[in-house]
Amino acid sequence: MLMPKKVKYRKQQKGKRRGKAWRGSSLAFGEYGLKVLEAGYITDRQIEASRIAMTRFIKRGGKIWLRLFPDKPITKKPAEVRMGSGKGALDHWVAVVKPGKILFEMEGVAPEIAQEAMRLASNKLPLKTKFVQRPGVIKTAAEKETAA
Amino acid sequence: MPEVVIAKPREGKFNKNAARRVRVAGKIPAVLYGAGHEAIAVEVDPRQISRILYSESGHNTIFDVDLSGTGTAKAMIVDWQLDPIKDSLIHIDLKRIALDKTLKVSVPIRLVGTAIGVKAEGGILDQVLREVEIECLPGDIPSHIDVDVTNLALHAVVRVKDLPHTDKYKFLAEEETTVAHVVSIREEAAPAVDAVAAAGPAEPEVAKKGKTEAEGEAKK
Repeated sequence: MLMPKKVKYRKQQKGKRRGKAWRGSSLAFGEYGLKVLEAGYITDRQIEASRIAMTRFIKRGGKIWLRLFPDKPITKKPAEVRMGSGKGALDHWVAVVKPGKILFEMEGVAPEIAQEAMRLASNKLPLKTKFVQRPGVIKTAAEKETAA
Repeated sequence: MPEVVIAKPREGKFNKNAARRVRVAGKIPAVLYGAGHEAIAVEVDPRQISRILYSESGHNTIFDVDLSGTGTAKAMIVDWQLDPIKDSLIHIDLKRIALDKTLKVSVPIRLVGTAIGVKAEGGILDQVLREVEIECLPGDIPSHIDVDVTNLALHAVVRVKDLPHTDKYKFLAEEETTVAHVVSIREEAAPAVDAVAAAGPAEPEVAKKGKTEAEGEAKK
């Protein structure tokens, strides 16, 4: 599971998720991407599940980039414990995302394969997403064949 | 036929509120500068700009800007801001172009053909550099630079020095910069059953406060 190797402080406050993702909102590596349309948290397990879903679908076909990292610790108190007595223990890690952020990128596959892989990845996430691609990417595999 | 962009000079305030009013009216705020002239804040039609941006020559298209009332100018889009969610244009920077002076532009690189490394050796073609910076006269800006990758084997690299060089333009990027390479793909190993579920939230190392001994001694 993804998590930081070293942190300055073990626990964090909740914080706010206002505004849009002005950084990391355009494709930087691949031809296709998955853009998130809502603000929220994506957990380390969800990221891993999405990555596995994509990798299994594209098999040996392409390359995937993860554009998010779960660097925020989330704590949780044990069940049936009274309030107070300090903050709970570390439970999991999340990535804070704002609308517009590119979560994953992909290259080396046909657009329809990328779209389906991203759909499967999106199914593992708690937020609305949309498939994006670079302008000028040939639409279908058939067109790609004819262009070649 | 080259597009003529109608740019209406803006008046009054140039703050966020005024810019939003321009967008509500269906236009986008823009600025026109360069070639020794003073910068002018203008408003333009986003559809015209989109047509230019998504044309064959893209943002390197040189077009006429009709400054209503104050004449025309040859210009180019040098910067544009997009809304992260809607991908609609928010603002653009237009630069006046002097047709007799060289300028620096980024030109897209297009990989032509299917690499041998992809077809026969099972690799994937990874394009690292999608645009390359060149210096040339405005009239000589190519819409894209084509590079043939048909003979590219697994782990082979196309560098800037391998791009077609001509007298019309000069590459500003380092000659050894990687443009594209064929990389091998590592297949995902089948995960051990319940390995993911069994792994608890391991605690990371917490960075110690204060100076380390080595740092303290170095200061002395």
